[in-house]
Amino acid sequence: MTKADQQAPRLEDERMDSRREFLMHLLTGTASATVLMVFGPGAAAHGPESSGFMKMAKAEHHYAYVIDVSKCIGCGNCVRACKRENSVPADYFRTWVERYVIRQDGVYVDSPNGAMEGFEKANARYRKNFHSAKTVPKMCNHCHIAPCVQVCPVGATFKSPEGFVLVDHGYCLGCGYCVQACPYAARFINPVKNKSDKCTWCYHRVKKGKLPACVTVCPQKARLFGDLSDQEAEVTRIFDEDKWLVLKPEMHTDPTCFYVGLPREVV
Amino acid sequence: MKDPSPRAHLVRLGLIMAAGVVVFLVLKSVLVPASWVDEGGDWYRGESLNEMMEQPLIYGGNESCQVCHSDVIEEMDEFKHKTLSCESCHGALIDHVQDEQKIADAFVDDESTWQCLNCHDERITKPEGFPQWNKQKAVEHMQMEEGMLCITCHTPHDPTP
Repeated sequence: MTKADQQAPRLEDERMDSRREFLMHLLTGTASATVLMVFGPGAAAHGPESSGFMKMAKAEHHYAYVIDVSKCIGCGNCVRACKRENSVPADYFRTWVERYVIRQDGVYVDSPNGAMEGFEKANARYRKNFHSAKTVPKMCNHCHIAPCVQVCPVGATFKSPEGFVLVDHGYCLGCGYCVQACPYAARFINPVKNKSDKCTWCYHRVKKGKLPACVTVCPQKARLFGDLSDQEAEVTRIFDEDKWLVLKPEMHTDPTCFYVGLPREVV
Repeated sequence: MKDPSPRAHLVRLGLIMAAGVVVFLVLKSVLVPASWVDEGGDWYRGESLNEMMEQPLIYGGNESCQVCHSDVIEEMDEFKHKTLSCESCHGALIDHVQDEQKIADAFVDDESTWQCLNCHDERITKPEGFPQWNKQKAVEHMQMEEGMLCITCHTPHDPTP
Protein backbone atom coordinates (compact mmCIF):
# COMPACT_ATOMS: atom_id res chain seq x y z
CA MET A 1 0.00 0.00 0.00
CA THR A 2 1.45 3.35 -0.96
CA LYS A 3 1.37 6.45 1.21
CA ALA A 4 -1.16 8.16 -1.02
CA ASP A 5 -3.64 5.28 -0.70
CA GLN A 6 -3.48 5.54 3.07
CA GLN A 7 -4.34 9.17 2.96
CA ALA A 8 -7.23 8.88 0.55
CA PRO A 9 -9.95 7.96 3.11
CA ARG A 10 -8.86 10.77 5.40
CA LEU A 11 -9.29 13.29 2.59
CA GLU A 12 -12.82 12.00 2.05
CA ASP A 13 -13.56 12.47 5.77
CA GLU A 14 -12.22 15.98 5.70
CA ARG A 15 -14.48 16.82 2.81
CA MET A 16 -17.51 15.59 4.73
CA ASP A 17 -16.48 17.71 7.69
CA SER A 18 -15.73 20.73 5.56
CA ARG A 19 -19.21 20.72 4.03
CA ARG A 20 -20.76 21.16 7.45
CA GLU A 21 -18.08 23.72 8.27
CA PHE A 22 -18.65 25.46 4.98
CA LEU A 23 -22.36 25.79 5.62
CA MET A 24 -21.70 27.06 9.14
CA HIS A 25 -19.23 29.63 7.77
CA LEU A 26 -21.71 30.66 5.13
CA LEU A 27 -24.37 31.22 7.79
CA THR A 28 -22.01 33.19 10.06
CA GLY A 29 -20.75 35.18 7.08
CA THR A 30 -24.26 36.12 5.96
CA ALA A 31 -25.27 37.08 9.47
CA SER A 32 -22.18 39.24 10.06
CA ALA A 33 -22.50 40.89 6.64
CA THR A 34 -26.10 41.80 7.46
CA VAL A 35 -25.08 43.21 10.85
CA LEU A 36 -22.21 45.14 9.22
CA MET A 37 -24.48 46.57 6.53
CA VAL A 38 -26.93 47.83 9.12
CA PHE A 39 -24.52 49.08 11.79
CA GLY A 40 -21.12 49.07 10.08
CA PRO A 41 -19.20 51.74 8.18
CA GLY A 42 -21.38 51.20 5.09
CA ALA A 43 -24.37 52.55 6.96
CA ALA A 44 -22.48 55.75 7.76
CA ALA A 45 -21.94 56.56 4.07
CA HIS A 46 -24.86 59.00 4.20
CA GLY A 47 -25.10 59.52 7.94
CA PRO A 48 -24.02 62.56 9.95
CA GLU A 49 -20.56 61.04 10.49
CA SER A 50 -19.94 60.45 6.76
CA SER A 51 -17.36 62.45 4.85
CA GLY A 52 -20.05 63.63 2.43
CA PHE A 53 -22.16 65.02 5.24
CA MET A 54 -19.19 66.69 6.98
CA LYS A 55 -18.23 68.30 3.68
CA MET A 56 -21.76 69.60 3.17
CA ALA A 57 -21.89 70.96 6.70
CA LYS A 58 -18.71 72.96 5.98
CA ALA A 59 -19.77 74.50 2.64
CA GLU A 60 -21.36 77.92 2.74
CA HIS A 61 -23.85 77.31 -0.09
CA HIS A 62 -25.67 74.22 -1.27
CA TYR A 63 -26.84 75.11 -4.71
CA ALA A 64 -29.73 73.34 -6.36
CA TYR A 65 -31.63 73.65 -9.61
CA VAL A 66 -35.37 73.29 -10.04
CA ILE A 67 -37.25 72.78 -13.30
CA ASP A 68 -41.00 73.30 -13.25
CA VAL A 69 -42.20 71.33 -16.26
CA SER A 70 -45.77 72.57 -15.92
CA LYS A 71 -44.56 76.13 -16.67
CA CYS A 72 -42.23 75.38 -19.60
CA ILE A 73 -43.49 76.59 -22.98
CA GLY A 74 -40.62 75.15 -25.02
CA CYS A 75 -39.52 78.52 -26.42
CA GLY A 76 -35.83 77.54 -26.40
CA ASN A 77 -34.60 80.84 -24.88
CA CYS A 78 -32.56 78.82 -22.37
CA VAL A 79 -30.90 76.75 -25.08
CA ARG A 80 -29.92 79.84 -27.09
CA ALA A 81 -28.65 81.70 -24.03
CA CYS A 82 -26.57 78.72 -22.90
CA LYS A 83 -25.04 78.37 -26.36
CA ARG A 84 -24.07 82.03 -26.44
CA GLU A 85 -22.90 82.34 -22.84
CA ASN A 86 -20.68 79.27 -22.98
CA SER A 87 -19.73 79.28 -26.70
CA VAL A 88 -21.16 75.77 -27.14
CA PRO A 89 -20.36 74.51 -30.68
CA ALA A 90 -23.18 73.89 -33.16
CA ASP A 91 -25.04 70.56 -32.77
CA TYR A 92 -23.85 70.17 -29.16
CA PHE A 93 -25.87 71.15 -26.12
CA ARG A 94 -25.21 71.74 -22.46
CA THR A 95 -28.94 72.11 -21.98
CA TRP A 96 -31.74 71.16 -24.34
CA VAL A 97 -35.52 70.79 -24.29
CA GLU A 98 -37.30 67.54 -25.12
CA ARG A 99 -40.90 67.30 -26.23
CA TYR A 100 -42.86 64.36 -24.81
CA VAL A 101 -46.09 63.60 -26.64
CA ILE A 102 -47.98 61.01 -24.66
CA ARG A 103 -50.52 59.09 -26.69
CA GLN A 104 -52.58 56.02 -25.90
CA ASP A 105 -50.32 53.95 -28.16
CA GLY A 106 -47.01 55.17 -26.77
CA VAL A 107 -44.77 58.06 -25.89
CA TYR A 108 -43.09 60.10 -28.61
CA VAL A 109 -39.99 62.12 -27.76
CA ASP A 110 -38.13 64.59 -29.94
CA SER A 111 -35.81 67.54 -29.56
CA PRO A 112 -35.16 69.12 -32.98
CA ASN A 113 -31.79 70.88 -32.77
CA GLY A 114 -32.10 70.77 -28.98
CA ALA A 115 -35.10 73.15 -29.31
CA MET A 116 -32.79 76.01 -30.31
CA GLU A 117 -35.63 77.37 -32.45
CA GLY A 118 -38.42 76.06 -30.25
CA PHE A 119 -40.69 73.36 -31.66
CA GLU A 120 -42.39 73.06 -35.01
CA LYS A 121 -46.12 72.72 -35.00
CA ALA A 122 -46.96 69.06 -34.65
CA ASN A 123 -50.54 69.45 -33.56
CA ALA A 124 -52.39 67.68 -36.37
CA ARG A 125 -50.01 64.74 -36.60
CA TYR A 126 -50.21 63.98 -32.89
CA ARG A 127 -53.86 64.76 -32.21
CA LYS A 128 -54.93 61.16 -32.85
CA ASN A 129 -55.18 59.16 -29.59
CA PHE A 130 -53.58 62.15 -27.93
CA HIS A 131 -53.35 62.10 -24.15
CA SER A 132 -51.03 64.90 -23.06
CA ALA A 133 -47.82 66.65 -24.06
CA LYS A 134 -45.06 68.47 -22.23
CA THR A 135 -41.77 70.14 -23.00
CA VAL A 136 -39.08 69.02 -20.57
CA PRO A 137 -35.78 70.91 -20.20
CA LYS A 138 -32.79 68.63 -19.64
CA MET A 139 -29.24 69.30 -18.47
CA CYS A 140 -26.52 68.05 -16.14
CA ASN A 141 -28.10 66.94 -12.86
CA HIS A 142 -25.02 67.84 -10.78
CA CYS A 143 -25.29 64.54 -8.89
CA HIS A 144 -23.96 64.08 -5.37
CA ILE A 145 -22.77 60.61 -6.34
CA ALA A 146 -21.72 61.48 -9.89
CA PRO A 147 -20.78 58.52 -12.12
CA CYS A 148 -18.70 60.88 -14.31
CA VAL A 149 -16.52 61.82 -11.32
CA GLN A 150 -16.05 58.17 -10.39
CA VAL A 151 -14.82 57.11 -13.83
CA CYS A 152 -12.47 60.02 -14.65
CA PRO A 153 -8.99 58.45 -14.83
CA VAL A 154 -7.08 61.71 -14.29
CA GLY A 155 -9.16 63.45 -11.63
CA ALA A 156 -10.23 66.17 -14.07
CA THR A 157 -13.93 65.91 -13.28
CA PHE A 158 -14.89 66.78 -9.74
CA LYS A 159 -17.67 67.90 -7.46
CA SER A 160 -16.88 71.28 -5.95
CA PRO A 161 -17.85 71.75 -2.27
CA GLU A 162 -20.81 73.94 -3.21
CA GLY A 163 -22.36 71.35 -5.47
CA PHE A 164 -21.06 72.15 -8.96
CA VAL A 165 -19.88 69.16 -11.00
CA LEU A 166 -17.06 70.66 -13.07
CA VAL A 167 -14.33 69.71 -15.53
CA ASP A 168 -10.74 70.88 -15.06
CA HIS A 169 -9.76 71.57 -18.67
CA GLY A 170 -6.11 71.68 -17.65
CA TYR A 171 -6.27 68.00 -16.77
CA CYS A 172 -8.98 66.58 -19.04
CA LEU A 173 -7.61 64.28 -21.74
CA GLY A 174 -10.87 64.01 -23.66
CA CYS A 175 -10.98 60.23 -23.27
CA GLY A 176 -14.77 60.26 -23.07
CA TYR A 177 -15.24 57.86 -20.14
CA CYS A 178 -17.43 60.43 -18.42
CA VAL A 179 -19.52 60.90 -21.57
CA GLN A 180 -20.37 57.21 -21.46
CA ALA A 181 -20.84 57.10 -17.70
CA CYS A 182 -23.41 59.89 -17.50
CA PRO A 183 -26.91 58.37 -17.27
CA TYR A 184 -28.43 61.71 -18.35
CA ALA A 185 -26.39 62.12 -21.56
CA ALA A 186 -25.42 65.56 -20.31
CA ARG A 187 -21.79 65.43 -21.45
CA PHE A 188 -20.02 65.61 -24.80
CA ILE A 189 -16.52 66.00 -26.14
CA ASN A 190 -16.18 69.59 -27.27
CA PRO A 191 -15.01 69.33 -30.90
CA VAL A 192 -13.15 72.65 -30.67
CA LYS A 193 -11.28 72.10 -27.40
CA ASN A 194 -11.20 68.26 -27.63
CA LYS A 195 -12.08 68.18 -23.95
CA SER A 196 -15.09 66.98 -22.05
CA ASP A 197 -17.75 69.67 -21.85
CA LYS A 198 -20.88 70.02 -19.79
CA CYS A 199 -23.22 72.37 -17.94
CA THR A 200 -21.33 74.18 -15.17
CA TRP A 201 -24.45 75.86 -13.73
CA CYS A 202 -22.62 78.89 -15.16
CA TYR A 203 -20.02 78.73 -12.37
CA HIS A 204 -18.43 81.96 -13.67
CA ARG A 205 -21.76 83.78 -13.35
CA VAL A 206 -22.96 82.32 -10.04
CA LYS A 207 -19.69 83.17 -8.28
CA LYS A 208 -20.13 86.77 -9.49
CA GLY A 209 -23.63 86.93 -8.03
CA LYS A 210 -25.54 86.29 -11.25
CA LEU A 211 -27.93 83.48 -12.09
CA PRO A 212 -27.05 80.86 -14.72
CA ALA A 213 -27.77 82.17 -18.25
CA CYS A 214 -30.68 79.73 -18.81
CA VAL A 215 -32.36 80.82 -15.57
CA THR A 216 -31.80 84.50 -16.43
CA VAL A 217 -33.68 84.32 -19.74
CA CYS A 218 -36.49 81.87 -18.89
CA PRO A 219 -39.71 83.90 -19.45
CA GLN A 220 -41.88 81.52 -17.44
CA LYS A 221 -39.60 81.11 -14.40
CA ALA A 222 -39.73 77.42 -15.16
CA ARG A 223 -36.03 77.22 -14.32
CA LEU A 224 -34.94 78.16 -10.82
CA PHE A 225 -31.50 78.22 -9.28
CA GLY A 226 -30.74 78.90 -5.67
CA ASP A 227 -29.21 78.00 -2.36
CA LEU A 228 -30.75 75.20 -0.31
CA SER A 229 -29.19 76.66 2.86
CA ASP A 230 -31.53 79.63 2.43
CA GLN A 231 -34.85 78.51 3.90
CA GLU A 232 -36.75 81.24 2.04
CA ALA A 233 -35.27 80.54 -1.40
CA GLU A 234 -37.66 79.48 -4.15
CA VAL A 235 -35.67 76.29 -4.69
CA THR A 236 -36.06 75.36 -1.02
CA ARG A 237 -39.79 76.06 -1.00
CA ILE A 238 -40.53 73.33 -3.53
CA PHE A 239 -39.82 70.81 -0.77
CA ASP A 240 -42.77 72.20 1.23
CA GLU A 241 -44.91 70.10 -1.07
CA ASP A 242 -44.15 66.50 -1.87
CA LYS A 243 -44.43 67.04 -5.61
CA TRP A 244 -40.82 67.00 -6.75
CA LEU A 245 -39.04 64.21 -8.59
CA VAL A 246 -35.54 63.49 -9.84
CA LEU A 247 -34.60 61.83 -13.11
CA LYS A 248 -33.56 58.16 -13.03
CA PRO A 249 -33.67 57.70 -9.23
CA GLU A 250 -32.87 54.02 -9.80
CA MET A 251 -29.31 55.05 -10.77
CA HIS A 252 -28.72 56.27 -7.17
CA THR A 253 -26.83 59.31 -8.43
CA ASP A 254 -28.56 61.61 -5.91
CA PRO A 255 -29.10 64.55 -8.32
CA THR A 256 -29.38 68.17 -7.22
CA CYS A 257 -31.58 69.01 -10.19
CA PHE A 258 -35.21 68.65 -9.08
CA TYR A 259 -38.27 68.51 -11.31
CA VAL A 260 -41.76 69.71 -10.46
CA GLY A 261 -44.78 68.62 -12.50
CA LEU A 262 -42.80 65.94 -14.28
CA PRO A 263 -44.95 63.38 -16.15
CA ARG A 264 -44.33 59.79 -15.04
CA GLU A 265 -43.31 58.95 -18.61
CA VAL A 266 -40.19 61.12 -18.36
CA VAL A 267 -38.71 59.82 -15.06
CA MET B 1 40.10 40.26 0.47
CA LYS B 2 37.54 40.46 3.20
CA ASP B 3 34.32 38.52 2.66
CA PRO B 4 31.28 40.78 2.19
CA SER B 5 28.85 40.78 5.08
CA PRO B 6 26.18 38.07 4.68
CA ARG B 7 23.54 40.79 5.01
CA ALA B 8 25.06 43.15 2.43
CA HIS B 9 22.36 42.37 -0.15
CA LEU B 10 19.64 43.28 2.37
CA VAL B 11 21.33 46.58 3.15
CA ARG B 12 21.63 47.35 -0.58
CA LEU B 13 17.97 46.48 -1.12
CA GLY B 14 16.98 48.68 1.80
CA LEU B 15 19.01 51.58 0.45
CA ILE B 16 17.50 51.23 -3.02
CA MET B 17 14.00 51.19 -1.55
CA ALA B 18 14.71 54.21 0.65
CA ALA B 19 16.10 56.05 -2.38
CA GLY B 20 12.93 55.07 -4.28
CA VAL B 21 10.74 56.51 -1.54
CA VAL B 22 12.75 59.74 -1.52
CA VAL B 23 12.51 60.05 -5.33
CA PHE B 24 8.76 59.39 -5.13
CA LEU B 25 8.24 62.04 -2.45
CA VAL B 26 10.34 64.61 -4.35
CA LEU B 27 8.48 63.91 -7.61
CA LYS B 28 5.14 64.08 -5.80
CA SER B 29 5.90 67.46 -4.23
CA VAL B 30 7.02 68.80 -7.63
CA LEU B 31 4.18 67.36 -9.72
CA VAL B 32 1.17 67.82 -7.43
CA PRO B 33 -0.05 71.40 -7.91
CA ALA B 34 0.10 73.64 -4.85
CA SER B 35 -3.64 74.22 -5.05
CA TRP B 36 -4.51 70.51 -5.04
CA VAL B 37 -7.58 69.82 -2.88
CA ASP B 38 -7.94 66.41 -1.28
CA GLU B 39 -10.64 66.47 1.38
CA GLY B 40 -13.93 64.80 2.11
CA GLY B 41 -13.62 62.56 -0.94
CA ASP B 42 -13.09 65.56 -3.25
CA TRP B 43 -9.99 65.52 -5.34
CA TYR B 44 -9.26 68.39 -7.70
CA ARG B 45 -6.95 71.22 -8.72
CA GLY B 46 -8.20 74.24 -6.77
CA GLU B 47 -6.70 76.63 -9.32
CA SER B 48 -9.06 75.28 -12.00
CA LEU B 49 -11.94 77.04 -10.21
CA ASN B 50 -10.15 80.38 -10.68
CA GLU B 51 -9.51 79.55 -14.33
CA MET B 52 -13.24 79.00 -14.83
CA MET B 53 -13.94 82.41 -13.32
CA GLU B 54 -12.04 84.01 -16.21
CA GLN B 55 -14.88 83.15 -18.62
CA PRO B 56 -16.51 86.46 -19.60
CA LEU B 57 -20.14 87.26 -18.81
CA ILE B 58 -22.29 87.47 -21.95
CA TYR B 59 -25.70 88.04 -20.37
CA GLY B 60 -26.05 90.61 -17.63
CA GLY B 61 -29.59 89.95 -16.46
CA ASN B 62 -32.24 92.63 -15.98
CA GLU B 63 -30.31 94.10 -13.03
CA SER B 64 -27.64 95.23 -15.52
CA CYS B 65 -30.26 96.94 -17.73
CA GLN B 66 -31.58 98.70 -14.64
CA VAL B 67 -28.36 100.72 -14.34
CA CYS B 68 -29.28 102.89 -17.35
CA HIS B 69 -32.90 101.99 -18.11
CA SER B 70 -34.48 101.99 -14.65
CA ASP B 71 -37.49 103.93 -16.01
CA VAL B 72 -38.33 101.16 -18.49
CA ILE B 73 -37.82 98.42 -15.90
CA GLU B 74 -40.04 100.26 -13.42
CA GLU B 75 -42.74 100.70 -16.04
CA MET B 76 -42.52 97.01 -17.00
CA ASP B 77 -43.49 96.03 -13.46
CA GLU B 78 -47.15 96.58 -14.29
CA PHE B 79 -47.08 94.71 -17.57
CA LYS B 80 -47.60 91.05 -18.27
CA HIS B 81 -44.16 90.81 -19.86
CA LYS B 82 -42.44 91.77 -16.60
CA THR B 83 -41.10 88.23 -16.13
CA LEU B 84 -39.19 88.37 -19.40
CA SER B 85 -35.50 88.94 -19.64
CA CYS B 86 -34.74 92.11 -21.62
CA GLU B 87 -31.92 90.24 -23.34
CA SER B 88 -34.26 87.60 -24.80
CA CYS B 89 -35.54 90.15 -27.34
CA HIS B 90 -32.93 92.92 -27.22
CA GLY B 91 -29.86 90.69 -27.39
CA ALA B 92 -27.08 89.92 -24.92
CA LEU B 93 -25.55 92.68 -22.81
CA ILE B 94 -22.06 92.15 -24.20
CA ASP B 95 -23.25 93.23 -27.68
CA HIS B 96 -24.55 96.49 -26.21
CA VAL B 97 -22.24 97.45 -23.36
CA GLN B 98 -18.62 96.56 -22.66
CA ASP B 99 -16.50 97.94 -19.81
CA GLU B 100 -19.42 100.17 -18.83
CA GLN B 101 -19.35 101.84 -22.26
CA LYS B 102 -22.10 101.56 -24.83
CA ILE B 103 -20.65 99.95 -27.92
CA ALA B 104 -23.77 99.47 -30.06
CA ASP B 105 -27.52 99.93 -30.00
CA ALA B 106 -29.43 97.10 -28.39
CA PHE B 107 -30.80 94.99 -31.19
CA VAL B 108 -34.50 94.42 -31.56
CA ASP B 109 -36.07 92.66 -34.52
CA ASP B 110 -39.22 94.65 -35.28
CA GLU B 111 -39.67 93.38 -38.82
CA SER B 112 -40.75 89.84 -38.11
CA THR B 113 -43.08 87.96 -35.80
CA TRP B 114 -40.52 85.35 -34.92
CA GLN B 115 -39.77 86.65 -31.45
CA CYS B 116 -43.46 86.80 -30.54
CA LEU B 117 -44.40 83.44 -32.02
CA ASN B 118 -41.41 81.76 -30.45
CA CYS B 119 -43.34 81.86 -27.18
CA HIS B 120 -46.92 82.41 -28.28
CA ASP B 121 -47.47 80.18 -31.30
CA GLU B 122 -50.08 77.56 -30.51
CA ARG B 123 -48.64 74.21 -29.37
CA ILE B 124 -50.17 71.22 -27.65
CA THR B 125 -47.30 71.18 -25.17
CA LYS B 126 -48.02 74.62 -23.72
CA PRO B 127 -49.56 75.00 -20.26
CA GLU B 128 -53.29 75.67 -20.01
CA GLY B 129 -54.13 79.36 -19.93
CA PHE B 130 -50.94 80.44 -21.68
CA PRO B 131 -51.91 82.95 -24.43
CA GLN B 132 -51.38 81.22 -27.77
CA TRP B 133 -51.63 82.45 -31.32
CA ASN B 134 -53.98 80.71 -33.70
CA LYS B 135 -53.90 82.36 -37.12
CA GLN B 136 -57.15 80.80 -38.29
CA LYS B 137 -59.07 82.14 -35.30
CA ALA B 138 -57.46 85.55 -35.57
CA VAL B 139 -58.37 85.92 -39.24
CA GLU B 140 -61.95 84.82 -38.57
CA HIS B 141 -62.64 87.04 -35.58
CA MET B 142 -60.50 90.11 -36.16
CA GLN B 143 -59.65 92.48 -38.95
CA MET B 144 -56.46 90.62 -39.70
CA GLU B 145 -54.79 91.18 -43.00
CA GLU B 146 -51.98 89.27 -44.63
CA GLY B 147 -48.58 90.74 -43.78
CA MET B 148 -49.65 92.35 -40.52
CA LEU B 149 -47.14 92.04 -37.69
CA CYS B 150 -48.04 91.30 -34.06
CA ILE B 151 -46.63 94.69 -33.11
CA THR B 152 -49.11 96.45 -35.41
CA CYS B 153 -51.67 95.98 -32.63
CA HIS B 154 -49.65 94.89 -29.56
CA THR B 155 -46.95 96.80 -27.72
CA PRO B 156 -44.15 94.33 -26.98
CA HIS B 157 -43.59 95.63 -23.44
CA ASP B 158 -47.30 95.78 -22.63
CA PRO B 159 -48.91 93.17 -24.89
CA THR B 160 -52.37 93.14 -23.33
CA PRO B 161 -54.73 93.75 -26.29
